[in-house]
Amino acid sequence: MLEAFKESLVSELGNKTAFTIPVLGGIPVADSVVVSWIIMALLTVLSLVLTRKLSVRSPGRVQAALEWAVQFLNGFVKTNIGSRWRPFAPWLGTVALYIGLSNLIGIFGLTPPTKDISVTTALAVMSMLLIYGAQFRYNGLLGGLKKFAEPMPLLLPINLMEVVIRPLALCMRLFGNILGAYIIMEMLKFVAPAVLPAVFSIYFDLFDGLIQTVVFVFLTTLFTGEGIKEEE
Amino acid sequence: MNIAIIAAAIAVFTGIGAGIGIGFATGKASEAIARQPEASGKINSALLLGCALAEGTAIFGFITALLIIFVG
Repeated sequence: MLEAFKESLVSELGNKTAFTIPVLGGIPVADSVVVSWIIMALLTVLSLVLTRKLSVRSPGRVQAALEWAVQFLNGFVKTNIGSRWRPFAPWLGTVALYIGLSNLIGIFGLTPPTKDISVTTALAVMSMLLIYGAQFRYNGLLGGLKKFAEPMPLLLPINLMEVVIRPLALCMRLFGNILGAYIIMEMLKFVAPAVLPAVFSIYFDLFDGLIQTVVFVFLTTLFTGEGIKEEE
Repeated sequence: MNIAIIAAAIAVFTGIGAGIGIGFATGKASEAIARQPEASGKINSALLLGCALAEGTAIFGFITALLIIFVG
């Protein structure tokens, strides 16, 4: 029985192929991609439906809630990045919505896409491009290079190492947390299939998923702000 | 396989460091908020950053253990 459980756990760790596109000798499409499409469709439909009847004179309840959310996001980005916050807010909000929804979708019985290390790697690489792209975009080529020698030239090797370590840590943190929560939940279901998983699911699925979303977005914002903040 | 399981258990010991670190950070943050409640927003964001970085070590240990068990 224990062996069977181990087998099922190992098979869960791999990324299952949902279907294969029959061109060029077959392109496998992973489960995480399909679930990502579902999330994208959900977000698109929601944003179309929720923003239909916007008005300046008489904002409805939905519009008030949306405005609060956007204002919260803008304020958060502004305090962490500084005066050049405008282009970053929409991207960070989108990433937060996507990661949050993918972490929570496990509750509805779908495989969370963030359990796939390829997804978190892609997110981390995009964060890295954002951080260092912004650093060079706003400081110029020379100014951007000079940022690597701050606060003092002695730290140059460490700053260069961070170019690799930051995305690696971002990727592994998200992946490890979601995978760890998933494995513990599977073990709990194996040991006590009744009430216990429901209680722990609140912590491992809801709380941990939301915390990891906040941490990912917060760290990306902080690193970006560090690269482009102007000295007073 | 038996020795590999012991190796994985040792790798998970990184959790001790993360636990101690996050405990210290949270304790100090509570003290700081008690002393200066109006700065709680800034203290909270610094605490979140520190906890995320400290937790990274535990996650690395966990990933290493998983690799040892399921891949190695």
